[in-house]
Amino acid sequence: MLTAFFVLIQLLWVGIPILMAIMWSLVNPKDAWSYPNIFPPSFSLEQWRYVFNYTNIARALRTSYSVAPLAVLLSFLLSLPTSYVLGRKNIPGKKVFMLVVLLPMIMPGMVVALFLSRVFSMLGLSQTFFGLVIAHTLMSMPYMIRVMTTSFASIPQDVIDAAENLGASTFVKIKDIFLPMIRPGLIAGMIFAFTTSIEEFNLTFIIGTPTFETIPTILYSFMGYNFIRTNASVVSLLMMTPNIIMLFIVERFLKSDYLSASLGKM
Amino acid sequence: MKKKDSLTPFTLLMLLPGVGFIIFFIGSSIVLTILQSFGLFSIMGNSTLTLGYWKAILNSREALDSLLFSLKMGVLSSLGTVMVAFPLALFFRKSGQGKGMLGSLIKIPLFIPALVAAFLILNLISYHGLINTILMRLSIIKEPLRMLNDKFGWGVVMIQVWKNLPFVLLILMSAISSIRDDTIDAAKNLGAGYFSILFRIYIPLAMPGILVAMILMFIKAFGDFPITSVAGPVYPSSVAGRMQIMANLYQEWNQAAVLGVIIILTTFFVIWAYSRFAELVQGDN
Repeated sequence: MLTAFFVLIQLLWVGIPILMAIMWSLVNPKDAWSYPNIFPPSFSLEQWRYVFNYTNIARALRTSYSVAPLAVLLSFLLSLPTSYVLGRKNIPGKKVFMLVVLLPMIMPGMVVALFLSRVFSMLGLSQTFFGLVIAHTLMSMPYMIRVMTTSFASIPQDVIDAAENLGASTFVKIKDIFLPMIRPGLIAGMIFAFTTSIEEFNLTFIIGTPTFETIPTILYSFMGYNFIRTNASVVSLLMMTPNIIMLFIVERFLKSDYLSASLGKM
Repeated sequence: MKKKDSLTPFTLLMLLPGVGFIIFFIGSSIVLTILQSFGLFSIMGNSTLTLGYWKAILNSREALDSLLFSLKMGVLSSLGTVMVAFPLALFFRKSGQGKGMLGSLIKIPLFIPALVAAFLILNLISYHGLINTILMRLSIIKEPLRMLNDKFGWGVVMIQVWKNLPFVLLILMSAISSIRDDTIDAAKNLGAGYFSILFRIYIPLAMPGILVAMILMFIKAFGDFPITSVAGPVYPSSVAGRMQIMANLYQEWNQAAVLGVIIILTTFFVIWAYSRFAELVQGDN
């Protein structure tokens, strides 16, 4: 059956690269793995121990996982009023605003990174934690805004009208109607914003290095002049695992509309 | 026809945090890029309006080589991903058993960061990597193929295809799903063979989606930095890579700005060309 054939191909296409990374991360330093062995001769957790003890991975993990939640929070707060207007009001120039919102996604990453770093230098934000948070927020906002705009737009007007009829104040409207009804979209947006922050490389590399290291920048350092395959394997797996878990959460619990909306389907 | 709301000060205030934040930071960096390319707002040396930096870049062998290389990467990556994704998209047109799981499997690279994807594939295609080892064992080749850091850039293309396949697939799938079954049935009734249907119905009707996918892929691959710097040739570097070296290594920020403007212009040109072409095609309908 054709499906079975494709599933097999796909398992190999995705599975082999990941499997190779796993194997390289488990290579026993006493038993080198090289041609002509297809598999490492023996396994050991030594590489993982090495990476955690002798590299800055712990610091990078801490930085990545402290910038990400803050970036998500900030992009949520900034996006909320904007998404409300774009989702529920039919203002002139809406199309233009929607396009502007996509700018961080469309603009070439390295160009923005380099010259935003100069802007940050002028503002005193270069090489600071807050600067990193702002940069990550900037990159997350297109996803947040697009997803939340879709959510706001899908709230039926009659529910709001009924609530107003019954005398609901703005505060009650926000608390009991808007926030609960955008929750699925909000969760999707937060997941995409979080993932974007964890993976963010260009801006972090220019603005944060060398003071701050995140997982992507430390991985990059293991792939450049210092190509240490085993270190890179460990860090790659560390980077991949939360993402793949999020993938399954998104696939199972959320509608695919959010997936498309956040990918900027035009 | 929905009534038009007006832009009250209140709505503007609500738009400010989101849209304003983006405009401020992206806007300031773009404006700075443009100004620095013309010699203004220089970090070191004098700030004078000059075309000297533009002349320097346009005369630079390295810059032109990088530009051509990045253009090549853009075109090959977009063609490659679309050519692999299109048959898959056709396959997914009808739902069937097991396609859900296949869908999830295919989507995995989407959630793998670019650098990690670069490393994973780099592992396989390197000189002593798995693919070369297997091909040598099977005696298909006598000498390992240089697929990584090769002069042409195949390593980069392979990584881009692997990483972006799900992204392009999603776009193509939605384009193909809008083709009605009656059209296909009518063609079959009239005796059209498989290739005829493919070239005369599927591809033309899915063309908007194909174009969107190719545009987005081109922009991504053209402006790429990390993948090319890890898996690409030693020379030339990508345009973004060259820009980064100019700025951080040589501290030639003005020349880097010129390259930055070139990247932005290329991106916008491609988007503009697409929208004009799309209008043209729509006009025919």
